[in-house]
Amino acid sequence: MLALGETAGAAMSRLKPEIERYAAGRVAANPGAHGFSGSAEYDDEVRERAVFTAEAGLSFFHLHGEGVGLVLFFASSLVAAVVPGRRARAALYALLTFGGLFPIGYVVYGAAVLELGRDAGVELAERWILAPLGLAAIAGLVGLAFALARPRV
Amino acid sequence: MSDAGAPTWRLPPRWVLLVAVLSIVAAEVGGGAMARFKVELTRWARDGMLARPGVHGLVGVRDVDERILDEALVKFDAGLRLFHMHAEGMGLVIIATSMVAATVIQRAAARRAIIALLTVGGAGYPVGYLAWSALIPAYGLERSKAIAEWLVWVPFGTATIVALWGLVGCVAWTMLARRRA
Repeated sequence: MLALGETAGAAMSRLKPEIERYAAGRVAANPGAHGFSGSAEYDDEVRERAVFTAEAGLSFFHLHGEGVGLVLFFASSLVAAVVPGRRARAALYALLTFGGLFPIGYVVYGAAVLELGRDAGVELAERWILAPLGLAAIAGLVGLAFALARPRV
Repeated sequence: MSDAGAPTWRLPPRWVLLVAVLSIVAAEVGGGAMARFKVELTRWARDGMLARPGVHGLVGVRDVDERILDEALVKFDAGLRLFHMHAEGMGLVIIATSMVAATVIQRAAARRAIIALLTVGGAGYPVGYLAWSALIPAYGLERSKAIAEWLVWVPFGTATIVALWGLVGCVAWTMLARRRA
């Protein structure tokens, strides 16, 4: 996830014009999804907002890829060190690893905005990717917190 | 680790940890300085830009010049913020990834190379944002960005990316080798 986050950051910086061009092309290819009206002024504004949202998705992916990668690393190390019981550890590893995929949701967010329109794309990514993966990460971290709070014998 | 027979984390060389901690310290100091000396920093940048009107395309018309100065000052501030954020983050990335490399990579030469690239790349990359900000008053937005890009972001960022994907390959290779054994 760290490697993907870093690479996305570099791509965002080096390939900005190409990404913008691609995003604008995808928006133009899906006029119905974006509610184009045929009025150039209105359509330009809609296109700009969609491209900006798609770029924001990539930017969030870069940021969260780096951050969640680190959270996953340190949290799973703590699980290995303090959680007794193989099954409990396996469950927490699974939740944290699943939650560690959370940043991928932002790539879907960016792509879905271009293909389905801004509101529908954001809704899809939030409901089906970001929420479940985020909940998994939260559940894993809460489980780890319980393990840490348990009195040691 | 709690699993029986599982390896424990190995620490990377002491200098790597020192560089990582220094990066975090620099980020903290940068963040503090940004907040404490915001007015002084802005004044310094503004004075620097006003001293070089040709570099910034200032024409002597207040309405036009103020817009140009505002845009440059926003970028100047953004560079400082990005330095603060990246130096904190990359300090942690260096600690985490060099621990993985020290633990997982068996071959000494590969381990040393990847740890060195992770450390140098990770600590050097954020400095580019500081350089960008510092160069804006003297060289203008585009030229300062190009200087920071080619002298800092591209070489140090590439080092980090190459090292991280090398580490991904080594971890995957170790998992496959363990499964085969």
